[in-house]
Amino acid sequence: MSRFRERRGNKSEQYFDYSLLFIVLFLLGFGMIMIYSTSSYEASKDYGDAAYYLKKQAVATVLGIAAMIITANIPYHFWERFAVLGYLMSAVLICLVLTPLGVEVKGARRWLDFGIGLRLQPAEIAKLGMILFLASMVCKMGRTIRTKKGFISILAVPLPISLMIWQITNNLSSAIIIFGIAALMLFVSSPDYKRFFILGALGIAAVAAAVYAVVHIASAENRGFRGERILAWLHPEAYASGKGFQTLQALYAIGSGGIFGKGLGQSMQKLGFIPEAQNDMIFSIICEELGLFGAIAIILLFLLLIWRFMIVANNAPDLFGALLVVGVMGHIAIQVILNIAVVTNTIPNTGISLPFISYGGSSVMFLLIEIGLVLSVSHSIHLREV
Amino acid sequence: MENLEKNKTFHRRKILAAFVLFFLAFLGLIARLSYLMVGRSQYYSEMAQDLHERERSIKAARGRILDRNGVVLADNKTVCTISVIHSQIKDEEAVVDLLQRELFLEEDYVRSRVEKVSAIERIRSNVEKSTGDRIREANLSGVKVDEDYKRYYPYGELASKVLGFTGGDNQGIIGLEVSYDSILEGEPGTILTVTDARGIELDAAGENRIEPVDGSDLTISLDLNIQKYATQLAYQAMETKRADSVSVIVMNPQNGEILAMTNVPEFDLNAPFAYQGELPEGATEKEKQDLLNRMWRNGCINDTYEPGSTFKTVTAAAGLEAGAVHTTDTFQCPGYIMVEDRRIRCHKRGGHGNEDFVQATMNSCNPVFVTVGLRLGSERYYEYFQKFGLLEKTGIDLPGEAATIMHKKENIGMVELATISFGQSFQITPIQLMTTVSSFVNGGRRITPHFALEARDTEGRLVRNFTYPVREGIVSGETCETMKMLLEQVVENGGGQNAHVEGFRIGGKTATSQTLPRGSGRYISSFLGFAPADDPQVMALAIINNPQGVYYGGQIAAPVVRQLFENILPYLEEEARSGKG
Repeated sequence: MSRFRERRGNKSEQYFDYSLLFIVLFLLGFGMIMIYSTSSYEASKDYGDAAYYLKKQAVATVLGIAAMIITANIPYHFWERFAVLGYLMSAVLICLVLTPLGVEVKGARRWLDFGIGLRLQPAEIAKLGMILFLASMVCKMGRTIRTKKGFISILAVPLPISLMIWQITNNLSSAIIIFGIAALMLFVSSPDYKRFFILGALGIAAVAAAVYAVVHIASAENRGFRGERILAWLHPEAYASGKGFQTLQALYAIGSGGIFGKGLGQSMQKLGFIPEAQNDMIFSIICEELGLFGAIAIILLFLLLIWRFMIVANNAPDLFGALLVVGVMGHIAIQVILNIAVVTNTIPNTGISLPFISYGGSSVMFLLIEIGLVLSVSHSIHLREV
Repeated sequence: MENLEKNKTFHRRKILAAFVLFFLAFLGLIARLSYLMVGRSQYYSEMAQDLHERERSIKAARGRILDRNGVVLADNKTVCTISVIHSQIKDEEAVVDLLQRELFLEEDYVRSRVEKVSAIERIRSNVEKSTGDRIREANLSGVKVDEDYKRYYPYGELASKVLGFTGGDNQGIIGLEVSYDSILEGEPGTILTVTDARGIELDAAGENRIEPVDGSDLTISLDLNIQKYATQLAYQAMETKRADSVSVIVMNPQNGEILAMTNVPEFDLNAPFAYQGELPEGATEKEKQDLLNRMWRNGCINDTYEPGSTFKTVTAAAGLEAGAVHTTDTFQCPGYIMVEDRRIRCHKRGGHGNEDFVQATMNSCNPVFVTVGLRLGSERYYEYFQKFGLLEKTGIDLPGEAATIMHKKENIGMVELATISFGQSFQITPIQLMTTVSSFVNGGRRITPHFALEARDTEGRLVRNFTYPVREGIVSGETCETMKMLLEQVVENGGGQNAHVEGFRIGGKTATSQTLPRGSGRYISSFLGFAPADDPQVMALAIINNPQGVYYGGQIAAPVVRQLFENILPYLEEEARSGKG
């Protein structure tokens, strides 16, 4: 062994985070089981093929794993040169949604179709692009980041993209996630705490004010569909046939799961009661079938994944690598938290998928590329001999 | 060119802080989930179950109606409802072909139903069981055959207005089917099935079934043979006399059990909504419904009439009770009687001359009964009218019994009293007359006329034994004996001789009354008879409405009762001997 080690490199042993890889693979496998369980009844009714959604997801997953392997084997500094390009590309792709290349699915124009059988969500590319761009920018700024100017400029960078995603593709949740990733990366790169407390307090105050305004002031006409979502969040039963429908159906599923669940495959709510349960609402079916134990097990698995991200980030050889991992960690953590919060009606309903588990090809592919990046960072950790 | 800034300690601390933040958020979500899945689990489970379950009711078989000898008069027939479930159909052509062939339907109609994308589509209901069985045996997927019960009356028209019929929802509409609805209908069961969001039942989920409780069988006092015979005679009289309608009631005066009740024309119970006569051109729905209602009317209890001379029995009984008249009293009939300034004629122009009360009854002499009425006085006459129960309904167990139409007590002057004495100027139902006369010949008991005897469940266990109120002491035993003698004399030697049956002692009274308005030439002739005269076991009333030609009750209604008695008296004796009657 020791001779082999010396032959490979005489500096030190190279590290590779297998536990992270296995957690991801487990989540992917579990996700596909749940997608099949959740969608097979509706899929066989609609398409005559119970595995319709499963097959499509499997194809995307295989492509994603291939992309992950490639990314993991490219030194992550290779991507630094594409940081600006990635940022601009994201903006261009988001605008392309408005051209005939854009595809509308269920009333939302969020996808691009290049005619190769795969639909792309520019928001997913934008998340990856933002992580890369901010990591590179923070490193270039050096100590400037500690100034007020640096602080504000880092916060300003994601704003155009976030606004575009919100306004052009009408996708508030992705906009929030991108901004959240940026805020987290800024938090890590700046030694300051006070500013973030102020920022957080301001954010909470703004949200509270918005909710208060919707409930007490706004009339039905200028409330808009988001305003109504907030009311449906507060009183799902009163909006059972409209905006509160999906939420209430999810609550039925979660509540009827109980402690141990009905057993895999035994969900009733997936039989058309929760529309497209394999997408954003898949966690409610997990709760119904696997119970509180299953749900907590999945949450712990995600926590474990985030913990691995932290380990990799803390041991990254340089700040750029660490920030890349922090960005991915922020992306996945925020998305998991928001998804479960939506499904349990902890926050108002907005479309967020559960990473690695929800049905959605472009989401899983870009998530796997991000995992590839993290693995690449982990790969360059050198274990010093004690 | 590569940026190789170092990962500093504060970075590590910040990353740890971020992780702690996320960790806390996850803990919060776990707490929220625990609350939802433990604390609120029951609430949401029930809501979800409510959402998933569909309730389908199973009809209970309606109880049968049996005659006194156990012959089924109202039964249930199994019929089928054929439906298609679009999502389960595999061979559309075969389904269309089978259904249009078996159900004799237009191919286009069947095809449009079969091709319609819906959860379940009904093709046809009320299909014969044999047809339903054939369709089920064809075993085509997507075709559903549901069995159901439909009311069926084996004797069609027989006692239609007594039995009544049911509507589509298994509820009685008229007749005994209404009166005993609660006993006959039973309790419907339910099937709880689990469905998906489209409403499609899930086979795997199994069903939760609450079995229906079938209705109880009702045994009634009607005797099929007597009913048949009474109906036949009524039709015969209606046809030969070209009458509007004929009613016949046969009752046991001792206990009020009705053996037969017919109002011809009857209607077909298996097609109650088909009008018997010709519908007038362009009749509105309401007019059609009115005609149907008239067709369904049971004249014996729903309609009142002026009883005429049969009511002289009431005057006689009241006079005898009060001591206002004795059988030996003698009268002089000049052919009329003056009451105040009115001259009331006897039906015999020349008058009956000298006669005692027995002869006057045999002659149905108006002046004599007017005299008896006047002797009583309006006050006392009204009191007897009331005491005999004529102001109340009889309480018969059929819906819609009509009430007596009578003068107010204070409005009864001499002239009114005179006309009441021979049965005019007021109206009662035929069943009221029979009930009242029964009390004069059964020892003074006012019985409740009725049909229902007992109800038994499907296993034959007695559910209910029906009892009816009896009021004693309507008239004295002495009056009863006199009344029986008087009425036997009417048949033996008086106006009721046409009711005489060889070998039996018959009592009775005839009646012929002109209907209002007077002078229209429309008459109601009737005869009320009972046998055996000394201990009546059966009483019959025949009423012929608007006969053409001869219209005297003694000549046309009495023969109806005679023919009836000729047939049923030997039959009833037979039954009595065999211990059934």
